[in-house]
Amino acid sequence: MHKTLTTISRRRLEPYLLLAPALGILLMFLIFPLFWNIYISLHDVSLTTILKEWAFVGGTNFSDLFEDPDFYTSLKITVVFVVGSVALQFGIGMLIAVLLNQQVRAAGVLRAIFIIPWTVSAVIAGFSFRFIFDDNFGILNYGLQTLGVPPIGWLSDPSIVIGSVVIANMWYGAPFTILFLTAGLLSINPVIYEAALIDGATKLRRFFHITLPLLRPFIVINLILITMWSVNFFDLQLIMTGGGPLFASTTASLYMYRQAFEFGFLSKGAATGILLLAMNLALAYGYVKLLRR
Amino acid sequence: MTMTSLSSVKHIRIGWFFPERGIIYVVIAIYLFITLAPLAWVLSTSFKPNEEAVGFPPTFLPKDPTLDNYAFVLTDPSLVRSLINSFVVSIGSTALSVATSALAGYAFARYDFRGKNVIMSIILGIFMIPILINLIPLYIMLGNIGLLNSLIALILTSQILIIPLNIFLLKNYFETIPRELEEAALIDGCSRLGALRHITAPLSMPSFAIAAVLSFRFSWNEFILPIVLANRGDVTVFQVALYQFISLYGIDWGYLTAGINLALIPVLVLMLIFQKQMIRGLTLGAVRE
Repeated sequence: MHKTLTTISRRRLEPYLLLAPALGILLMFLIFPLFWNIYISLHDVSLTTILKEWAFVGGTNFSDLFEDPDFYTSLKITVVFVVGSVALQFGIGMLIAVLLNQQVRAAGVLRAIFIIPWTVSAVIAGFSFRFIFDDNFGILNYGLQTLGVPPIGWLSDPSIVIGSVVIANMWYGAPFTILFLTAGLLSINPVIYEAALIDGATKLRRFFHITLPLLRPFIVINLILITMWSVNFFDLQLIMTGGGPLFASTTASLYMYRQAFEFGFLSKGAATGILLLAMNLALAYGYVKLLRR
Repeated sequence: MTMTSLSSVKHIRIGWFFPERGIIYVVIAIYLFITLAPLAWVLSTSFKPNEEAVGFPPTFLPKDPTLDNYAFVLTDPSLVRSLINSFVVSIGSTALSVATSALAGYAFARYDFRGKNVIMSIILGIFMIPILINLIPLYIMLGNIGLLNSLIALILTSQILIIPLNIFLLKNYFETIPRELEEAALIDGCSRLGALRHITAPLSMPSFAIAAVLSFRFSWNEFILPIVLANRGDVTVFQVALYQFISLYGIDWGYLTAGINLALIPVLVLMLIFQKQMIRGLTLGAVRE
């Protein structure tokens, strides 16, 4: 076939042309802002100075951050939130995924139902649980009352409010783990179990020596994703408690949002954002190192 | 030793240490209750007048069932406006992301080019960047261009949530379609783009469905982007309108729960219609019901 020069160079360009729209959007709205964030964090940008010249302040935003006791509180709350969320989401997700795989009848229907919490929005989940957890008219406290237990300040007690958000987050996030681990479980060739059964392996043995090792790549990716999502997520906190009472449920991500959009300290928020990104990367790296023997 | 037939292999699934099938079903039943109870409770509350909604002791079935709450939400002009905005943004966003991701996914599936792996890794890596980090720069950037409080800004910014995933999904599906089908068309003089349009795309409808439903879900449910970038009353979306129910005087839970149930419907309906495809897609093709 006779190919002209223009045909050849056009063919070489084709993939790039196909990629252009998607990459263009990503570059402009995702990658560029990411780097611009660094610039913003090194200047003084607040809602009052946003239209004027931004003064260069170097590391001041970061040092302000490290001198703010609320920031440290938010870090502590973040740890509680992330550990709780990941433990519950992964624990329950794994349990349900494994159980659903045990020749359960109507597993398909059940899976469809179990996805539902993931299909609703954070607004829906947040308000639903805010309603349920309410001190006065919440159905939970009513249930406790009928059992003779004194009411619990699910959202008003500073020491447990983050736990309430963790519970809501578990409800909201477990479906993802269920689906993801189900994918992993079904990718295991049943013939392997047959061979093990012939060799006389017990159920427990089969789980720990066949299932878990084969599931490992899925588990690692799942853990990385849900951990990072827990670190970055703040919709539920914002809706259920607004961060209160008095910062008791303000995770670092919510702290960033509030600093930027409630107090107007945009550059301080940007600095927090960069720290959060660093946290994400460190966690991902940590997981990979830890779970890759 | 006899050959074990395929049917007996099916019975040898992953074992756990619960010998009792009963316990399995009990656990599943408990989780089923946990999953559905909050939604059922919110549904029931939506049919109660505001006072009964926060009444104590709570009533499981409404004493005074009413459709007033739904009527309120569906006739309040600003709420209806926000509902329309949600549809506009979600549909627009879905169309844009599926189109751009299909082109990009096709490029990855059918071409080899310089930088292919690097770009792919960047796209996958991007998927892990929280939007959180871009909120502030986007706010300033859009403010400078004058695109704050615009639906088009919402459509464009929500792309960053879904394009990476869609590219990944569509690319994988395209790769399962035999090249020979396209080669045949190319030999007959069809252009690459034409091949995509007339051969690959029609065969990839299941994956387009998955991508579309996911895109719609992410756009429809999105709350943070609109509340930062477009929270003015006339341009805001339904999720934000619901959030703005919180007033100084507390919340009208009757109205709010009605709004919540309405907000549920579009995504739920889509998921129900496409549930088989969704589960297949989300479990990476592993589940075949």
